[in-house]
Amino acid sequence: MAEDFSRRSFIKGASLGVAAGYFAAAGLSSTALYKQVMPAEKLNQTDIGEVKALRMKVISETSWYDNNVLLNDLKGAGGLLVNQYTIPWTSNGVAAGYNGNNAGGFATYIEADLMDGSTKRILLDTGWNPAWMEKRFIEEGVAEKLAKKQIDYWIISHEHFDHYWGLEATLKYNPNQDVYVPKGFYTEGFDLLKGKAFPKAQVKNDFPHKGKVHVMDSSKVNPLFPGAALMTFDMPIICRVFGEQAFVFNVKDKGIVLVTGCCHMGIITYMETVRKKIKGGEKIYAVQGGLHISPFEDWDPQYDDLILALNKYGIQKIGANHCTGFIAVEKMISAKLPVVTGTKRNMTKRDIYLGNGDTLAV
Amino acid sequence: MTTKTYDGSAATQEMETEHHYEELDKIWLEERSLTNSLAQPLRGLLGFFLSFGFFMALWYVTMDPRGILQWYTPMYGYMYIRWLLIVAIWQAYIFNFWPFKQKWMEETHPLVKGPIMIGINWAITGAIIWIGFFWLIGKYSIPYFSWPELHKVGMTDFFAREYAGLAVLMVAAIASWLAPIWPMAFENYPWHKLTQPAKGFTVLSLTSLLTIFVYFIFMHPHYMVLFYPWQKFAAAMPWWYESAKTLSGNYNVGWIMCGTIAVWLIETIWERYPFRLIKSQPWRGLAGFAWVLFVALIMFNTFNLMQDLAWGPAYEGGKRLYAPDWRYLHSGELAVMMLLPALVLYFYFDNWPKKFSTEVNLAIRTIIVVVGTFAFNFIYYQISPPLLGTQPGYSHPQQFPMAPVILWIVIMLYHNWFMDGWPGKRIKKDK
Repeated sequence: MAEDFSRRSFIKGASLGVAAGYFAAAGLSSTALYKQVMPAEKLNQTDIGEVKALRMKVISETSWYDNNVLLNDLKGAGGLLVNQYTIPWTSNGVAAGYNGNNAGGFATYIEADLMDGSTKRILLDTGWNPAWMEKRFIEEGVAEKLAKKQIDYWIISHEHFDHYWGLEATLKYNPNQDVYVPKGFYTEGFDLLKGKAFPKAQVKNDFPHKGKVHVMDSSKVNPLFPGAALMTFDMPIICRVFGEQAFVFNVKDKGIVLVTGCCHMGIITYMETVRKKIKGGEKIYAVQGGLHISPFEDWDPQYDDLILALNKYGIQKIGANHCTGFIAVEKMISAKLPVVTGTKRNMTKRDIYLGNGDTLAV
Repeated sequence: MTTKTYDGSAATQEMETEHHYEELDKIWLEERSLTNSLAQPLRGLLGFFLSFGFFMALWYVTMDPRGILQWYTPMYGYMYIRWLLIVAIWQAYIFNFWPFKQKWMEETHPLVKGPIMIGINWAITGAIIWIGFFWLIGKYSIPYFSWPELHKVGMTDFFAREYAGLAVLMVAAIASWLAPIWPMAFENYPWHKLTQPAKGFTVLSLTSLLTIFVYFIFMHPHYMVLFYPWQKFAAAMPWWYESAKTLSGNYNVGWIMCGTIAVWLIETIWERYPFRLIKSQPWRGLAGFAWVLFVALIMFNTFNLMQDLAWGPAYEGGKRLYAPDWRYLHSGELAVMMLLPALVLYFYFDNWPKKFSTEVNLAIRTIIVVVGTFAFNFIYYQISPPLLGTQPGYSHPQQFPMAPVILWIVIMLYHNWFMDGWPGKRIKKDK
């Protein structure tokens, strides 16, 4: 009897305790109590001004030509955490590659018409394979503008091989070009800029940089000129890279235009940060560049979360390419997102990307 | 488990207030009587640094991206780690070291029986992964359980290995939550009178069956959306999407990890309190299971809330720090970080303190573990890049603090379950 009483008492007490404790804890993290505990959102918006118009030309979005080759390089080196400067990347014998080299590169050329009638010219990134990048720079007139010192800003989105290692293609034409890199660059990145070679990774720089190096802070918005700013995001990225920066433009009568290299921070995180930190940031008009969703045509349910959430932001134009992934863009089209298609030329594989030589004008 | 008190005979009834319950079944680890070879804190420190040293060596050889085998890619290596853990639990808790006799376990030197036990642990792990999953289940049933089969049907070799690794490790993760509950809470009821290996295979069968159910309900839908196009004829839409704001199975991974950790917190620093106060089975077991769930949900919600307070709310569709699914996963990671100081206290510092009332002892240990968790968390993110070859920062899609922490825990289990905590401890020969 005593045993029964003890058991009943325990079960009754335990049940009450468990239920009360659970609802207290669940309540804290979900409903009314959650709002009491969580501080209210603080907006700290910077007015970056406006530009009149914007043209973004894709110089090269084809960073590599064969996913399997790249992934086998990574797997053979020890996975996605291995230092990129120590990986023996495949540089010949790739049927789909540029002259057999799997390396291509990413770069975008941007022209911004200011309200005073002048134009600012920007080169975002400099690709991977210098031969390929130089060819594309010549074809699209970027090489000439570099040589004539007409490029106002050379921005490196992040230190990844396919965005940064083709720096000879830029420095060959203007070694004095100032460069803007995000906070988080490793020593190797600065050494490469100065002319150091990394034979194992087959990367070198025979045109040492002589201009200024600006390291962009991640704690604040970094205005470039009226209507344009850079935002730096602190985060570790595959192949032992840290930090990425991306553009915010405010185009008169249109809204915010975001231009990215790879967008490792995630496009939703990027837009939410812009909403909090940029005046007018709640109205995103267009997004252009690599959105880093399924760069290797891999997938994860988290990416579906992203596609499903994108529809809630009212974006008018999405010019996606590079590391966005074809699967991701197909899903965007299925979700009726406003994808701007391209012309599938200059080695871009599909027209659902804003591809090499294509321009998005706002 | 030498820290608990037991009765079970009429002669001890007068000690009812001290010895609360009758235990149906005890494993050898509970009956094993250890004596200290060294005084504290020397013994504790020696054990701690020995286990850490072996962990570092094993990590470098097998996992470190700068090391030899480089399996931490991360899912492939993490898969092995999770299976080493569950196989160790099976060896000690479910099979009670069968086929080895208790006498052999007591009389054999730790340096002899340790490598044998560890060798068996590794062999079973390898056989389950390569024969059970990659070859058998993956080839003849569900390809996503097999690296070679996924590669054969067109996936890149790298992601074939990673996707299969995730599926295979999740089975182990769920099993390591459910399997120890039976010997720990139910004391193997109603099969406590069976002898080994019948008892082991019975409990293994039951917990494996439960693992299969839990896996298919809580993880299989993750694979519905993992492949393109969605595999709607093979798996249900993730049913947790509306409440969790993510399609990812990481939502379930998070609370299941908290459940696994809850089991071991209850088993070690909390001495199966308070459900051990119930006198008979199956009520004690059912209450124990409910207690595990309760503690798990409290931990899960608390860790989720702490992250929201630290970084602000996650966004639907966000990545990295702001991805809802990563937040859930990180709650599981924080729970694992909580287990580490708990096991250090339990294995190496004699589950201090023991001199107060049960409630006070448990409260002090809990405070120590909470403080230890914060300290370990801080230290981990400061020193893991140079030490483990990982990258700085909290959220990285290719690294999981769970992996190194669990590997260290596995080493502690090897040391204390398979090797009696030698050389700091030894078995009392005159028992």
